[in-house]
Amino acid sequence: MATTTTTPELKTYIGKRVRRVEDPRLITGTATYVDDIRKPGMLHAAVLRSPYAAAKITGIAIEKALALPGVKAVYTGKDVAAVGPVPCAGSMEDLRIPDHRILARERVYYVGHPVVAVVATDRYIAADALDLIEVDYEPTEVISDPEEALKDGAVRVHPEYPDNVAFTYKQAKGDVDKAFEEADFTCEERILVPRLAPIPMETRGVVADWDEGAKELTLYSSTQIPHLLKTQLALQLDMPEHHIRVIAPEVGGGFGSKCNVWAEEALACFVAMDLKKPIKWIESRRESIQVVAHGRAHVDTIEIAAKKDGTLTGLKLHIVCDIGAHHQLLTPIIPTLAVLMLPGLYKFRSFKASLVGAFTNRAPSDLYRGAGRPEATYVLERIVDKMARILGMDPAEIRFKNFPEPAEFPFETVTGLQYDSGDYAAAFHKALDKIDYKACREEQKKARAEGRLYGIGISTYGELCAFGPSPATPAGGWECASVNVKATGKVEVLTGISPHGQGEETSFSQMVADAFGIPMSDVVVIHGDTAKVSYGIGTFGSRGIAIGGSALHLAMQDIVAKATKYAAHILDVDADTVTFKNGTFSSSAAEQTLSFADVALETHLCRKLPPGTEPGLTATRFFEPSNFAFPFGAHICTVEVDQETGETTILRFVAVDDCGKIINPLLVEGQIHGGVAQGLGPAFMEGVIYDEEGQLLNGTMMDYAIPKARHMPWIETDRTETPSTVNPLGVKGVGEAGTIGSLPAFVNAVVDALSPLGVDHVDIPMTPQSIWRVIQERSRS
Amino acid sequence: MKLKGTYAMPAPRDEVWAALLDPAVLARTLPGCKSLQETGPDEYAMQMSLVISSVKGLFEGKVRIMDQQPPESYRIEVEGRGKIGFVNGGGAFLLKDAGDVTDIDYEGEVKVGGMIASVGQRLMDMTSKMMIKRFFTALEDEITERE
Amino acid sequence: MIPARFEYSAPETLSEALRLLGSDGEAKVLAGGQSLVPMMKFRLAQPGHLIDLARIPDLNFVAEENGAIRIGAMTTHNQVETSALIREKCPLLAKTAAHIGDVQVRNRGTIGGSVVHADPAADYPAALLAMEAKVKLVSASGERMAGLDEFLVDALTTLLEEGEILTEVHVPLERAGVLTAYRTLVQPASGFAMAGVGVRLGVENGTITFARVALTGVGSKPYRATAVEQALVGQGAGAETFAAAAAHATDGVDALSDMHASAEYRVNLAAVQVRRALEDAAGSA
Ligand SMILES: Cc1cc2nc3c(=O)[nH]c(=O)nc-3n(C[C@H](O)[C@H](O)[C@H](O)COP(=O)(O)OP(=O)(O)OC[C@H]3O[C@@H](n4cnc5c(N)ncnc54)[C@H](O)[C@@H]3O)c2cc1C
Repeated sequence: MATTTTTPELKTYIGKRVRRVEDPRLITGTATYVDDIRKPGMLHAAVLRSPYAAAKITGIAIEKALALPGVKAVYTGKDVAAVGPVPCAGSMEDLRIPDHRILARERVYYVGHPVVAVVATDRYIAADALDLIEVDYEPTEVISDPEEALKDGAVRVHPEYPDNVAFTYKQAKGDVDKAFEEADFTCEERILVPRLAPIPMETRGVVADWDEGAKELTLYSSTQIPHLLKTQLALQLDMPEHHIRVIAPEVGGGFGSKCNVWAEEALACFVAMDLKKPIKWIESRRESIQVVAHGRAHVDTIEIAAKKDGTLTGLKLHIVCDIGAHHQLLTPIIPTLAVLMLPGLYKFRSFKASLVGAFTNRAPSDLYRGAGRPEATYVLERIVDKMARILGMDPAEIRFKNFPEPAEFPFETVTGLQYDSGDYAAAFHKALDKIDYKACREEQKKARAEGRLYGIGISTYGELCAFGPSPATPAGGWECASVNVKATGKVEVLTGISPHGQGEETSFSQMVADAFGIPMSDVVVIHGDTAKVSYGIGTFGSRGIAIGGSALHLAMQDIVAKATKYAAHILDVDADTVTFKNGTFSSSAAEQTLSFADVALETHLCRKLPPGTEPGLTATRFFEPSNFAFPFGAHICTVEVDQETGETTILRFVAVDDCGKIINPLLVEGQIHGGVAQGLGPAFMEGVIYDEEGQLLNGTMMDYAIPKARHMPWIETDRTETPSTVNPLGVKGVGEAGTIGSLPAFVNAVVDALSPLGVDHVDIPMTPQSIWRVIQERSRS
Repeated sequence: MKLKGTYAMPAPRDEVWAALLDPAVLARTLPGCKSLQETGPDEYAMQMSLVISSVKGLFEGKVRIMDQQPPESYRIEVEGRGKIGFVNGGGAFLLKDAGDVTDIDYEGEVKVGGMIASVGQRLMDMTSKMMIKRFFTALEDEITERE
Repeated sequence: MIPARFEYSAPETLSEALRLLGSDGEAKVLAGGQSLVPMMKFRLAQPGHLIDLARIPDLNFVAEENGAIRIGAMTTHNQVETSALIREKCPLLAKTAAHIGDVQVRNRGTIGGSVVHADPAADYPAALLAMEAKVKLVSASGERMAGLDEFLVDALTTLLEEGEILTEVHVPLERAGVLTAYRTLVQPASGFAMAGVGVRLGVENGTITFARVALTGVGSKPYRATAVEQALVGQGAGAETFAAAAAHATDGVDALSDMHASAEYRVNLAAVQVRRALEDAAGSA
C-alpha cells in the first residue's frame, strides 16, 4: 500500500475545450452501429409500404414472394394482430387515438404506411420479394391539407370519427380581449411552419434476437430511449419486462426522430420470436424521409397587441397542427410546447391560445429538434418584428423594452412557466455589439441608397428544456446514474440518458475526472443498455447534462462521502478533519495522505472496514429536477438579397447563447453550429412537400434539400453564463438553442431587406424563387 | 401536374377525329403502348411500357373516352398502375379547323403516385412533354402516310 | 434502395464491351454510375446486365489532335476540371466541370456518362454546345461522329443506338482571344442547374466579333441560344448590349417547370444568368 503520494499540479477539465472521446472510433469506422451487428443465422426483413395515401386493402397475394428461394416468411397485418398498438402518450380529454397497428389491416392511411413484412436470408432477396407481393388497393378519397381537413364535410381520414379533429387544447390568462381593445396597435399574421424530415445521418434500424432457452428478447435499436422502449415493448408484446433487453448501440443522430416507439421495433421482435431467428431491419433513406415522423407542420395565426411605447400587452395564437394519420409517441404533446413557450422572453400580460390537431392522410408528425419551441419562437419573433415596424420602433428596442429584469427571476410567464434565471438584455447587448448593430444599420442605409436589398434580422429566444420535472413529462422526467469505482481506482459511470452525438461520454468524464482528481482516461461512461443501466428516461429535450449530469453529481458526492470515511479510518483520524482535494485525501491530524486510488483499493480489500460501513465504492442516485431550465440567447443575421434571382446571401451570423454553466465549450459550440444549420435549412430550402393526393413529392435527397457546408455562413458564437437554479450543476441545456434562434433571425433579416418594397412577411422556406416572386409582385403593384 | 397545348395537325378535321378515336391507330401511336383492347363501349384496357433512358416501367390500365361531340371534342380518362407507381389523368381535346391544318387543343391533368411521384418529380414535366410530342408526331406520321 | 438482380461484366477492351453489349438485349453500359446506379437503387432502372467500362484503358485519356481536344468517354469530371491541357486549350469545359455536383460525384462521374444520360439540366452540354463539340459513337459494325446539337434529341434521349458506345468527345481548341464563362444557379438538393449558361465571347476593339451562348436546365434539353448570339455579334461589348441580347435567352424555348422552379422563374433566371455570364466573360479579359 502506498503510504505517501506526491500531488502534482492536477489537470482539471470542466469548462475546458476537451475533444470528444467518442470521436476516434466514429471517424475511424470502428464504432458499432445497428447495421454492423451480425448474429448467427440472422434473417433480414423488408417492409412493403403503401403507395396510396388512402385506400382499402382488398387482397394481398404473397404466394410468389414466398416461392422466391431464400424467403423465409411473409407477414401481413392479420399475422401480427397479437402485437399491441403503437403507443401514444397524450392526455387531452378529447384526444382521439385511432387504432395504430404495426402493419396495416383493412386500410392504409398514408403513403408509406407499412403493409407487409418479408423475411429472407439476405436483404437483397428481401427487397426482391417485395416486388413479388401484390396488394389490391381500392383507392379512397384523400384529405391531405390540414386546414381543408378541418372544414365541414371534409373527407374523413378515420371513418369511425365524425371529423378530422384529433384533439384540441386551449390555454389563456389575463383579459386578452381587453388588451386588444385597449391596445394602441394590433397586428396579425398567418404563418406556415412546414413539415420537416428529420434526416438523421443513420436511418432507423433494429436487430431483434430471441433466446429460446432463456426466454429472453434482445432488441438492438437505433433509439434515444432504450429504457422507455423496453417498457413499451413489454406492453405491446405482452411480455414480462425483465425478459426484454434493449440496447442502443452507436446511434448516428436522432434529432428527436428516435425518441419514439416505432412499429418496426415491435415487428422485428415479434418475427424474431415467431421464427426463433435473429432479425435485422435497416430503414432505407427513402423510407426515412417518407415515414419517420416529420416535425413542425403548423399553420399558425398569431396576433399581438401593443402600446404606443412598445409595451407588448396581449398575444393570441391559433395553431392548426397537421398530425398526419396516426399518432406517434408524443404527437399530441409537441404542439402544446409551442403554446407554453409562446411568450418567449417577453413580459406579456395576457394571452390566449388554441390548438387543433388535424388528422390528414400524411405520415405522422412528432418531435423534431426543438419540438414546439422553434415554432413558437418563429411566430413570436416574426410578429414582434412586424409590430416594431408598425410602431416605427427599432426591432432591438422593442425587445429590450419587454424583457423581464434579472431581479425579477424566477420569472413567471403568462403561460405559467417559472423561468429559472436569466439576463436577457446582457446576452442581447453582447450580440448587438458583436455584429456592431449600429454599423449594420448604417450599411443598410447606404445599401438602400444604392438600391440594394440589405437586411438585418434579430431573434431573441427562450427555450424550455432539461425535461423535466416528472409531473410535466409523460413517462417520468428524472434520471439515474450509478458510479462504480473499481479496485484499481478506475471509474465506471452508468447513466440512464442515451447520448447519440451529444458527447456526454466526454462531458461526464470531465465531471468525474474533476470530482475525483483522476485523468479522464480513468473514466468510462456506459449508456444505452437496459441490462447494464437499471433504468433511465433517455436523451431528448436537452436533458443529458442537466438531469443525467445532476444524478451523476449526486452519486459522486455519495462516493466522496463514503471514501472520506474510509480515508479517515485508514489515517486513523476523525472524518471531520479529512478533506478531499485534487484527488488526495488529507487531514490536519495526519501527515500521511491517500490518493483516490488508494482508497478505492481499500474499499475492495476491506482490511480495515470502518464501523457501520459496507465494502465497495459504488453509488446510484436519481435526480428529479424541480423545474425545467430555460436557456436563452440572441441570434442576429445580416443578409443581402439578389433582386434579379431572389438568392439570399448571409453576410454575417452571430449567435450569443446562454445555456447556463458550461462543462465543455467545444461541445456547446458544436451543438450551436449544428442547430443553426438545422434552423437555417427550413428557413431557406427545406420542407416536405405533399400534393393534394397525399403523395410526398420530394422523397429523396435529390429533391429534399438540407443545408450542406457550402450553404452555411461562418457562425460567430459567443455566450453569457447565467447559472440555472433548478439543478446542482447550474447547467441548462443547448441541444435545441441553435435551431430555435437561427430561423427567425434569418427570416427577419430577409423581410427587413425586402421591407422597402412593402413586404412584411414571406413564408418559409424562403427559396430564391419564392423571394423572386414576392419582389415581382411588389414591383408590379 | 397540368398539361396544356396545341398541336397543328396537317389534315382535315374529320380525318384527325377519326384517327384520334381509332383504337388501332392509338395502339400504334401512343408512346410505349403494347396493347389496347376494347373492354366495353369507349372503354379500353391498355398495357404500356414506358422507356425513358434507363428507366423502364410497365403499366396496366384503363382508358375511357367520354363526352364525344364529333368531330369537335371529347374527354379522355386514363388510369394506369405498375410496379414503379401509378398514373391517373384526364384531359379534354378540342379540334378546330384552321385552314390547312386542324388545331388540336389539349388540356388536362396528370397525377402520379408511388415511387415515380416521390423520386421522379424532376423528370415529370419533361417526360410528359416528351410523351405528348412523341404521340402527336407519331399520329401525324400515321395520318399523313394514310393519304 | 436495393437494385434488382443484375449480371456484371468488366471487359478490358472496347471490342469485348461491344460484343457483350450486342449479345444481351438487357445490357447497359456502366460508367461512373452517378446517374444509372441511383435509378437502379430505386428500381426505376433494372438492367439485367451491367457492362462496366472502367477497365478499358483506351477510354480514359485527354489528347490534342488536329485542332481539337479529344477526351475519352471515361474521363471523370474531376480529370476534366484539373487537366492542364483542357484548362489551357478549352478553358470553358474545365470551368464547367468544376460546377458539377460535389467532389464525390466529380471523382466518379464521367463525361461520356453525362453526355449519354442527357439530363436536361446537366452542366457539360451547355459548355459543349457553346464549344461546338462532337461525339464519337462506336458499334460492332463501325463508328460515326455526331455534333452534340444533333446528338441530344430530347430530355434523356440521344442519337445513341442500341449496341453503340460513346467513346470520345471532341472539342475544338479555343480560338485566340475568346473569353469564356460558365454560370449556374442550382437547385439546392441535387445541385443540378435551374439555369446554367456557357458563354464564349470574342471582342475586337470593343466590338463583339464572335459569340456562342448555350443554356442548360431551362428547356427539355440544353440548347444554343442563337438569338442571343445574333444580338451580340457586331455590337459594342458592354452592359447594354449584354442585357439586350440576354433578353432572347429563351426565344422559342418551352421552359420546364418543377417543384423547385416554375417555367416563369426559369425564363427569368435564364436571362439574368446569360447577362451575368457575358459580363463575367467580358470581365475576365
Ligand atoms: C448527387 C449528385 C449530384 C449531381 N449533380 C450534377 C450536377 O450538378 N451537374 C451535372 O451535370 N450532373 C450532376 N450529376 C450527374 C453526374 O454528372 C453523372 O456523373 C452523369 O450524369 C453520368 O455520368 P456517369 O459516368 O456517372 O454515368 P452512368 O451513371 O454510369 O451512366 C449514365 C447513363 O449513360 C450510359 N453510358 C455511360 N457511359 C456511356 C458510354 N460511354 N457509352 C454509352 N452509354 C454510356 C449508361 O448506360 C447510363 O444509361 C449529379 C449526380 C449525383 C449523384
